[in-house]
Amino acid sequence: MNTLNEHPRGALHAHLDGELSLEGSLEVEHHLLDCASCRSELDTYRALRQLLQSAKATASEAELTLLRVTRTFHLRHRQRKFFVVGGAMAAAALLALVLVPGGTSGIANEVASVHARAMEAGRTEELASRDPAAVERWLSTQSLEPVPPTEGGEGIALRGARVELLDGRRVATVVYQVGSHVVDVFAWRSAEADIEPRPTVAGRWTVCRWAHRGVAYWMVSDMGTEELQVLAGLIRNRRT
Amino acid sequence: MKLIPSTRAADQRPLQVLRRSPGTNGMNLATTESGITVVDDSREFERFARPHAAAALRLARTLVTNEADAQDVLQDSFLRAFRHFRGFSGESPRAWLLSIVRNVSFTLWRKQKRSEPDEPETELEAEPDPAPSPEERLLEACDAELVQAALGQLPTLHREVLVLREMEECSYREIACVLGVPIGTVMSRLSRARAQLVRKLAGDLRSRM
Repeated sequence: MNTLNEHPRGALHAHLDGELSLEGSLEVEHHLLDCASCRSELDTYRALRQLLQSAKATASEAELTLLRVTRTFHLRHRQRKFFVVGGAMAAAALLALVLVPGGTSGIANEVASVHARAMEAGRTEELASRDPAAVERWLSTQSLEPVPPTEGGEGIALRGARVELLDGRRVATVVYQVGSHVVDVFAWRSAEADIEPRPTVAGRWTVCRWAHRGVAYWMVSDMGTEELQVLAGLIRNRRT
Repeated sequence: MKLIPSTRAADQRPLQVLRRSPGTNGMNLATTESGITVVDDSREFERFARPHAAAALRLARTLVTNEADAQDVLQDSFLRAFRHFRGFSGESPRAWLLSIVRNVSFTLWRKQKRSEPDEPETELEAEPDPAPSPEERLLEACDAELVQAALGQLPTLHREVLVLREMEECSYREIACVLGVPIGTVMSRLSRARAQLVRKLAGDLRSRM
Protein backbone atom coordinates (compact mmCIF):
# COMPACT_ATOMS: atom_id res chain seq x y z
CA MET A 1 0.00 0.00 0.00
CA ASN A 2 1.30 3.41 -0.91
CA THR A 3 0.41 5.63 2.01
CA LEU A 4 2.13 8.70 0.63
CA ASN A 5 0.63 9.16 -2.82
CA GLU A 6 -2.97 7.92 -2.52
CA HIS A 7 -5.66 9.25 -0.25
CA PRO A 8 -8.30 6.69 0.76
CA ARG A 9 -11.23 9.05 0.21
CA GLY A 10 -14.07 6.52 0.05
CA ALA A 11 -12.54 4.36 2.73
CA LEU A 12 -12.11 7.40 4.95
CA HIS A 13 -15.89 7.75 5.10
CA ALA A 14 -16.40 4.03 5.66
CA HIS A 15 -13.78 4.21 8.44
CA LEU A 16 -15.61 7.15 10.03
CA ASP A 17 -18.86 5.18 9.85
CA GLY A 18 -17.41 2.00 11.31
CA GLU A 19 -18.17 0.10 8.14
CA LEU A 20 -14.70 -1.18 7.28
CA SER A 21 -13.35 -4.62 7.97
CA LEU A 22 -10.58 -4.82 10.57
CA GLU A 23 -8.01 -5.05 7.82
CA GLY A 24 -9.42 -2.02 6.02
CA SER A 25 -9.53 0.01 9.24
CA LEU A 26 -5.91 -0.80 9.99
CA GLU A 27 -4.90 0.34 6.51
CA VAL A 28 -6.69 3.63 6.96
CA GLU A 29 -5.21 4.14 10.41
CA HIS A 30 -1.77 3.48 8.97
CA HIS A 31 -2.34 6.03 6.24
CA LEU A 32 -3.60 8.61 8.72
CA LEU A 33 -0.35 8.43 10.68
CA ASP A 34 1.50 9.92 7.72
CA CYS A 35 -1.16 12.06 6.07
CA ALA A 36 -2.13 15.35 7.70
CA SER A 37 -4.52 16.12 4.85
CA CYS A 38 -6.63 13.00 5.49
CA ARG A 39 -6.50 13.54 9.26
CA SER A 40 -7.82 17.02 8.76
CA GLU A 41 -10.52 15.80 6.39
CA LEU A 42 -11.60 13.15 8.87
CA ASP A 43 -11.75 15.74 11.68
CA THR A 44 -13.89 17.96 9.48
CA TYR A 45 -16.38 15.17 8.87
CA ARG A 46 -16.44 14.34 12.58
CA ALA A 47 -17.26 17.97 13.31
CA LEU A 48 -19.94 17.87 10.61
CA ARG A 49 -21.45 14.79 12.25
CA GLN A 50 -21.67 16.56 15.60
CA LEU A 51 -23.30 19.54 13.95
CA LEU A 52 -25.90 17.39 12.19
CA GLN A 53 -26.69 15.51 15.37
CA SER A 54 -27.16 18.79 17.21
CA ALA A 55 -29.59 19.84 14.48
CA LYS A 56 -31.63 16.65 14.81
CA ALA A 57 -35.18 17.76 15.48
CA THR A 58 -37.49 16.05 17.92
CA ALA A 59 -40.48 14.40 16.30
CA SER A 60 -42.48 13.05 19.23
CA GLU A 61 -45.78 13.90 17.54
CA ALA A 62 -45.07 10.98 15.19
CA GLU A 63 -46.12 8.65 18.00
CA LEU A 64 -49.49 10.33 18.20
CA THR A 65 -49.99 9.73 14.47
CA LEU A 66 -49.02 6.10 14.95
CA LEU A 67 -51.46 5.74 17.84
CA ARG A 68 -54.21 7.28 15.74
CA VAL A 69 -53.62 4.77 12.97
CA THR A 70 -53.39 1.73 15.21
CA ARG A 71 -56.38 2.83 17.29
CA THR A 72 -58.43 3.17 14.11
CA PHE A 73 -57.63 -0.39 13.13
CA HIS A 74 -58.21 -1.61 16.66
CA LEU A 75 -61.67 -0.02 16.81
CA ARG A 76 -62.57 -1.41 13.39
CA HIS A 77 -61.53 -4.84 14.57
CA ARG A 78 -63.59 -4.50 17.73
CA GLN A 79 -66.60 -3.43 15.71
CA ARG A 80 -66.23 -6.39 13.37
CA LYS A 81 -65.83 -8.79 16.27
CA PHE A 82 -68.82 -7.28 17.96
CA PHE A 83 -71.08 -7.73 14.94
CA VAL A 84 -69.91 -11.27 14.30
CA VAL A 85 -70.51 -12.40 17.86
CA GLY A 86 -73.59 -10.56 18.86
CA GLY A 87 -75.45 -9.61 15.67
CA ALA A 88 -78.13 -7.07 16.33
CA MET A 89 -77.46 -6.96 20.07
CA ALA A 90 -73.86 -6.17 19.42
CA ALA A 91 -74.86 -3.39 17.06
CA ALA A 92 -76.98 -1.88 19.76
CA ALA A 93 -74.15 -2.20 22.25
CA LEU A 94 -71.75 -0.56 19.81
CA LEU A 95 -74.12 2.33 19.45
CA ALA A 96 -74.16 2.62 23.20
CA LEU A 97 -70.39 2.99 23.12
CA VAL A 98 -70.74 6.07 20.96
CA LEU A 99 -73.61 7.60 22.90
CA VAL A 100 -72.87 9.37 26.11
CA PRO A 101 -74.33 7.42 29.05
CA GLY A 102 -77.64 8.66 30.38
CA GLY A 103 -77.56 11.84 32.39
CA THR A 104 -74.35 13.12 30.84
CA SER A 105 -75.47 14.13 27.35
CA GLY A 106 -76.56 17.48 28.82
CA ILE A 107 -73.06 18.04 30.17
CA ALA A 108 -71.57 17.01 26.81
CA ASN A 109 -73.58 19.73 25.11
CA GLU A 110 -72.63 22.22 27.80
CA VAL A 111 -68.94 21.33 27.40
CA ALA A 112 -69.23 21.82 23.64
CA SER A 113 -71.02 25.18 24.11
CA VAL A 114 -68.41 26.46 26.55
CA HIS A 115 -65.64 25.54 24.12
CA ALA A 116 -67.48 27.08 21.16
CA ARG A 117 -68.00 30.36 23.03
CA ALA A 118 -64.33 30.57 24.01
CA MET A 119 -63.22 29.84 20.44
CA GLU A 120 -65.61 32.34 18.89
CA ALA A 121 -64.58 35.02 21.37
CA GLY A 122 -60.92 34.29 20.72
CA ARG A 123 -60.46 33.96 24.48
CA THR A 124 -59.32 30.40 24.89
CA GLU A 125 -57.09 31.08 27.91
CA GLU A 126 -57.00 33.59 30.72
CA LEU A 127 -53.44 32.64 31.52
CA ALA A 128 -51.32 31.94 28.43
CA SER A 129 -48.31 29.86 29.45
CA ARG A 130 -46.43 26.81 28.29
CA ASP A 131 -45.08 26.21 31.77
CA PRO A 132 -47.08 23.47 33.60
CA ALA A 133 -45.95 24.75 37.01
CA ALA A 134 -47.11 28.30 36.20
CA VAL A 135 -50.49 27.02 35.01
CA GLU A 136 -51.00 24.92 38.12
CA ARG A 137 -49.97 27.84 40.34
CA TRP A 138 -52.44 30.13 38.60
CA LEU A 139 -55.28 27.63 38.91
CA SER A 140 -54.52 27.17 42.63
CA THR A 141 -54.85 30.95 43.11
CA GLN A 142 -58.35 30.62 41.67
CA SER A 143 -59.15 28.14 44.46
CA LEU A 144 -59.75 25.42 41.90
CA GLU A 145 -59.10 21.78 42.30
CA PRO A 146 -58.76 19.19 40.97
CA VAL A 147 -56.59 20.43 38.13
CA PRO A 148 -56.36 18.52 34.82
CA PRO A 149 -52.90 17.31 33.74
CA THR A 150 -50.76 20.17 32.43
CA GLU A 151 -47.72 18.41 30.94
CA GLY A 152 -47.03 18.84 27.21
CA GLY A 153 -45.03 16.51 24.97
CA GLU A 154 -45.93 13.71 22.52
CA GLY A 155 -47.20 16.34 20.07
CA ILE A 156 -49.34 18.02 22.73
CA ALA A 157 -48.44 21.64 23.53
CA LEU A 158 -49.72 23.42 26.62
CA ARG A 159 -51.32 26.80 25.81
CA GLY A 160 -52.58 27.90 29.21
CA ALA A 161 -55.68 27.81 31.41
CA ARG A 162 -58.96 29.52 32.20
CA VAL A 163 -61.90 29.09 34.55
CA GLU A 164 -65.30 27.96 33.26
CA LEU A 165 -68.72 27.48 34.77
CA LEU A 166 -69.84 23.91 34.03
CA ASP A 167 -72.56 21.74 35.53
CA GLY A 168 -73.25 24.51 38.05
CA ARG A 169 -69.67 24.81 39.36
CA ARG A 170 -66.43 26.67 38.66
CA VAL A 171 -64.11 24.32 36.84
CA ALA A 172 -60.37 24.36 36.12
CA THR A 173 -59.81 24.34 32.36
CA VAL A 174 -56.45 23.46 30.82
CA VAL A 175 -55.97 24.37 27.17
CA TYR A 176 -53.75 22.44 24.78
CA GLN A 177 -52.73 22.79 21.16
CA VAL A 178 -52.42 19.59 19.09
CA GLY A 179 -51.43 20.39 15.52
CA SER A 180 -53.98 22.95 14.39
CA HIS A 181 -56.55 21.92 17.02
CA VAL A 182 -57.31 23.69 20.29
CA VAL A 183 -58.27 21.24 23.03
CA ASP A 184 -59.96 22.08 26.34
CA VAL A 185 -59.71 19.69 29.28
CA PHE A 186 -61.99 20.16 32.32
CA ALA A 187 -61.89 18.32 35.66
CA TRP A 188 -64.05 18.16 38.78
CA ARG A 189 -64.63 15.86 41.73
CA SER A 190 -66.95 12.95 41.09
CA ALA A 191 -68.15 9.88 43.01
CA GLU A 192 -68.38 7.73 39.89
CA ALA A 193 -66.18 4.71 39.27
CA ASP A 194 -63.29 4.83 36.79
CA ILE A 195 -64.41 5.10 33.15
CA GLU A 196 -62.26 4.65 30.05
CA PRO A 197 -62.13 7.61 27.61
CA ARG A 198 -65.42 7.63 25.72
CA PRO A 199 -65.90 10.00 22.79
CA THR A 200 -69.11 11.41 21.40
CA VAL A 201 -70.13 14.07 18.91
CA ALA A 202 -71.92 17.20 20.11
CA GLY A 203 -72.82 19.34 17.13
CA ARG A 204 -69.64 20.22 15.27
CA TRP A 205 -67.47 19.40 18.28
CA THR A 206 -66.13 16.12 19.61
CA VAL A 207 -66.36 15.56 23.34
CA CYS A 208 -64.61 12.84 25.30
CA ARG A 209 -65.12 11.98 28.96
CA TRP A 210 -63.40 9.69 31.37
CA ALA A 211 -63.21 9.25 35.12
CA HIS A 212 -60.19 8.35 37.15
CA ARG A 213 -59.72 8.09 40.91
CA GLY A 214 -62.69 10.20 41.89
CA VAL A 215 -62.21 12.88 39.25
CA ALA A 216 -64.39 13.34 36.16
CA TYR A 217 -62.56 14.65 33.09
CA TRP A 218 -64.11 16.14 29.98
CA MET A 219 -62.26 17.05 26.84
CA VAL A 220 -63.50 18.90 23.76
CA SER A 221 -62.03 19.81 20.39
CA ASP A 222 -62.77 19.76 16.67
CA MET A 223 -60.78 16.53 16.14
CA GLY A 224 -62.31 13.24 15.06
CA THR A 225 -63.65 10.88 17.72
CA GLU A 226 -60.86 8.33 17.35
CA GLU A 227 -58.18 10.98 17.43
CA LEU A 228 -59.63 12.60 20.54
CA GLN A 229 -59.98 9.22 22.23
CA VAL A 230 -56.29 8.50 21.66
CA LEU A 231 -55.39 11.95 22.96
CA ALA A 232 -57.56 11.43 26.02
CA GLY A 233 -55.74 8.16 26.69
CA LEU A 234 -52.38 9.94 26.53
CA ILE A 235 -53.49 12.71 28.87
CA ARG A 236 -55.19 10.34 31.27
CA ASN A 237 -51.99 8.29 31.57
CA ARG A 238 -50.16 11.38 32.81
CA ARG A 239 -52.31 11.42 35.94
CA THR A 240 -51.90 7.90 37.30
CA MET B 1 -4.73 1.76 -2.40
CA LYS B 2 -7.46 -0.82 -2.38
CA LEU B 3 -9.74 -0.30 0.54
CA ILE B 4 -13.24 -1.61 0.53
CA PRO B 5 -15.94 -1.96 3.13
CA SER B 6 -16.19 -5.13 5.15
CA THR B 7 -16.25 -8.21 2.96
CA ARG B 8 -17.94 -10.44 5.52
CA ALA B 9 -20.59 -12.47 3.75
CA ALA B 10 -23.26 -11.36 6.18
CA ASP B 11 -22.57 -7.71 5.40
CA GLN B 12 -22.85 -8.16 1.66
CA ARG B 13 -26.25 -9.85 1.75
CA PRO B 14 -29.23 -7.64 1.07
CA LEU B 15 -31.44 -7.22 4.11
CA GLN B 16 -33.73 -10.19 4.36
CA VAL B 17 -37.46 -9.90 4.30
CA LEU B 18 -39.04 -13.06 5.62
CA ARG B 19 -42.67 -14.03 5.84
CA ARG B 20 -44.33 -14.83 9.10
CA SER B 21 -47.60 -16.41 9.99
CA PRO B 22 -50.41 -14.32 11.38
CA GLY B 23 -50.61 -14.32 15.13
CA THR B 24 -52.92 -16.78 16.79
CA ASN B 25 -53.63 -15.05 20.05
CA GLY B 26 -57.24 -15.97 20.70
CA MET B 27 -57.93 -12.59 22.25
CA ASN B 28 -57.14 -10.89 18.99
CA LEU B 29 -59.15 -13.01 16.59
CA ALA B 30 -62.48 -12.31 14.98
CA THR B 31 -64.10 -14.68 12.49
CA THR B 32 -66.39 -13.24 9.88
CA GLU B 33 -69.50 -14.99 8.58
CA SER B 34 -67.57 -16.15 5.53
CA GLY B 35 -65.15 -17.91 7.85
CA ILE B 36 -62.24 -15.54 7.34
CA THR B 37 -60.22 -15.04 10.49
CA VAL B 38 -59.17 -11.48 11.07
CA VAL B 39 -56.26 -10.81 13.40
CA ASP B 40 -56.01 -7.60 15.38
CA ASP B 41 -52.32 -6.77 15.06
CA SER B 42 -52.73 -3.13 15.98
CA ARG B 43 -50.95 -3.32 19.32
CA GLU B 44 -48.20 -5.51 17.92
CA PHE B 45 -47.74 -3.06 15.05
CA GLU B 46 -47.63 -0.20 17.53
CA ARG B 47 -44.80 -1.88 19.44
CA PHE B 48 -43.04 -2.64 16.16
CA ALA B 49 -43.26 0.86 14.67
CA ARG B 50 -43.08 3.07 17.76
CA PRO B 51 -39.26 3.08 18.14
CA HIS B 52 -38.96 4.27 14.53
CA ALA B 53 -41.87 6.72 14.37
CA ALA B 54 -39.76 9.82 14.99
CA ALA B 55 -37.19 8.72 12.39
CA ALA B 56 -40.02 8.21 9.91
CA LEU B 57 -41.31 11.74 10.49
CA ARG B 58 -37.84 13.24 10.19
CA LEU B 59 -37.30 11.44 6.88
CA ALA B 60 -40.70 12.61 5.64
CA ARG B 61 -39.76 16.19 6.56
CA THR B 62 -36.54 15.72 4.61
CA LEU B 63 -38.35 14.60 1.49
CA VAL B 64 -41.41 16.87 1.27
CA THR B 65 -41.70 20.61 1.30
CA ASN B 66 -43.98 21.42 4.20
CA GLU B 67 -45.09 20.08 7.59
CA ALA B 68 -48.64 19.28 6.48
CA ASP B 69 -47.32 17.07 3.66
CA ALA B 70 -44.88 15.43 6.06
CA GLN B 71 -47.71 14.57 8.43
CA ASP B 72 -49.78 13.16 5.54
CA VAL B 73 -46.83 11.10 4.33
CA LEU B 74 -46.29 9.75 7.84
CA GLN B 75 -49.90 8.73 8.28
CA ASP B 76 -50.09 7.10 4.83
CA SER B 77 -46.84 5.28 5.54
CA PHE B 78 -48.15 3.87 8.80
CA LEU B 79 -51.35 2.77 7.07
CA ARG B 80 -49.43 1.09 4.28
CA ALA B 81 -46.99 -0.53 6.70
CA PHE B 82 -49.83 -1.83 8.84
CA ARG B 83 -51.55 -3.43 5.83
CA HIS B 84 -48.38 -5.31 4.92
CA PHE B 85 -47.20 -5.87 8.45
CA ARG B 86 -48.42 -9.46 8.70
CA GLY B 87 -46.13 -10.50 5.87
CA PHE B 88 -43.03 -8.90 7.33
CA SER B 89 -40.38 -10.34 9.58
CA GLY B 90 -37.18 -8.86 8.29
CA GLU B 91 -33.89 -7.92 9.87
CA SER B 92 -34.54 -4.21 10.04
CA PRO B 93 -38.03 -2.90 10.75
CA ARG B 94 -36.57 0.60 10.64
CA ALA B 95 -35.19 0.23 7.11
CA TRP B 96 -38.48 -1.32 5.97
CA LEU B 97 -40.56 1.47 7.48
CA LEU B 98 -38.28 4.20 6.16
CA SER B 99 -38.37 2.71 2.65
CA ILE B 100 -42.16 2.97 2.81
CA VAL B 101 -41.91 6.61 3.90
CA ARG B 102 -39.64 7.27 0.93
CA ASN B 103 -42.01 5.57 -1.52
CA VAL B 104 -45.02 7.42 -0.14
CA SER B 105 -43.12 10.72 -0.38
CA PHE B 106 -42.28 10.13 -4.02
CA THR B 107 -45.89 9.15 -4.72
CA LEU B 108 -46.84 12.56 -3.35
CA TRP B 109 -44.19 14.16 -5.54
CA ARG B 110 -45.76 12.54 -8.58
CA LYS B 111 -49.20 13.81 -7.57
CA GLN B 112 -47.71 17.27 -7.23
CA LYS B 113 -46.10 16.75 -10.64
CA ARG B 114 -42.60 17.12 -9.29
CA SER B 115 -39.87 15.09 -10.93
CA GLU B 116 -38.13 12.69 -8.58
CA PRO B 117 -35.49 12.90 -7.28
CA ASP B 118 -34.65 16.52 -7.99
CA GLU B 119 -31.31 15.92 -9.74
CA PRO B 120 -30.27 13.07 -12.02
CA GLU B 121 -27.98 10.59 -10.34
CA THR B 122 -25.45 10.91 -13.16
CA GLU B 123 -24.99 14.62 -12.49
CA LEU B 124 -24.47 14.05 -8.82
CA GLU B 125 -21.99 11.30 -9.43
CA ALA B 126 -20.12 13.47 -11.91
CA GLU B 127 -19.27 16.09 -9.30
CA PRO B 128 -15.57 16.55 -8.63
CA ASP B 129 -14.01 14.24 -6.11
CA PRO B 130 -14.60 15.74 -2.69
CA ALA B 131 -11.60 17.00 -0.80
CA PRO B 132 -12.68 20.01 1.18
CA SER B 133 -10.00 22.23 2.54
CA PRO B 134 -9.64 22.01 6.32
CA GLU B 135 -12.91 23.45 7.56
CA GLU B 136 -13.14 21.93 10.99
CA ARG B 137 -12.50 25.21 12.80
CA LEU B 138 -14.91 27.01 10.55
CA LEU B 139 -17.63 24.49 11.35
CA GLU B 140 -17.27 25.30 15.03
CA ALA B 141 -18.96 28.63 14.29
CA CYS B 142 -22.06 26.91 12.84
CA ASP B 143 -25.29 26.47 14.73
CA ALA B 144 -28.17 24.05 14.28
CA GLU B 145 -30.27 26.60 12.41
CA LEU B 146 -27.54 27.23 9.84
CA VAL B 147 -27.04 23.50 9.39
CA GLN B 148 -30.75 22.88 8.84
CA ALA B 149 -30.86 25.70 6.29
CA ALA B 150 -27.81 24.40 4.42
CA LEU B 151 -29.13 20.84 4.52
CA GLY B 152 -32.40 22.03 3.05
CA GLN B 153 -30.58 23.42 0.04
CA LEU B 154 -28.83 20.19 -0.89
CA PRO B 155 -30.27 17.92 -3.59
CA THR B 156 -32.72 15.41 -2.18
CA LEU B 157 -30.40 12.48 -2.88
CA HIS B 158 -27.72 14.07 -0.74
CA ARG B 159 -30.05 15.32 1.94
CA GLU B 160 -31.69 11.98 2.57
CA VAL B 161 -28.45 10.01 2.74
CA LEU B 162 -27.05 12.48 5.28
CA VAL B 163 -30.18 12.34 7.42
CA LEU B 164 -30.22 8.55 7.35
CA ARG B 165 -26.56 8.21 8.25
CA GLU B 166 -25.78 11.17 10.51
CA MET B 167 -29.08 11.71 12.29
CA GLU B 168 -30.70 8.27 12.28
CA GLU B 169 -27.36 6.43 12.40
CA CYS B 170 -28.44 3.82 9.88
CA SER B 171 -25.84 1.32 8.69
CA TYR B 172 -24.83 1.26 5.03
CA ARG B 173 -26.93 -1.89 4.58
CA GLU B 174 -29.99 -0.21 6.03
CA ILE B 175 -29.45 2.87 3.87
CA ALA B 176 -29.02 0.67 0.79
CA CYS B 177 -32.31 -1.03 1.67
CA VAL B 178 -34.15 2.27 2.17
CA LEU B 179 -32.82 3.83 -1.04
CA GLY B 180 -32.91 0.64 -3.10
CA VAL B 181 -29.31 1.05 -4.30
CA PRO B 182 -26.10 -0.97 -3.87
CA ILE B 183 -23.86 -0.28 -0.87
CA GLY B 184 -21.20 1.15 -3.17
CA THR B 185 -23.65 3.82 -4.29
CA VAL B 186 -24.44 4.63 -0.68
CA MET B 187 -20.74 5.15 -0.02
CA SER B 188 -20.11 7.41 -2.99
CA ARG B 189 -23.29 9.39 -2.43
CA LEU B 190 -22.52 9.87 1.24
CA SER B 191 -18.98 11.09 0.61
CA ARG B 192 -20.21 13.61 -1.97
CA ALA B 193 -23.05 14.73 0.25
CA ARG B 194 -20.73 15.37 3.18
CA ALA B 195 -18.29 17.30 1.03
CA GLN B 196 -21.07 19.33 -0.51
CA LEU B 197 -22.54 20.22 2.87
CA VAL B 198 -19.15 21.25 4.25
CA ARG B 199 -18.56 23.49 1.24
CA LYS B 200 -22.04 24.95 1.57
CA LEU B 201 -21.64 25.69 5.28
CA ALA B 202 -18.20 27.19 4.77
CA GLY B 203 -19.55 29.42 1.99
CA ASP B 204 -22.52 30.51 4.12
CA LEU B 205 -20.27 31.33 7.05
CA ARG B 206 -17.82 33.30 4.93
CA SER B 207 -20.64 35.30 3.40
CA ARG B 208 -21.80 36.18 6.93
CA MET B 209 -18.37 37.50 7.91
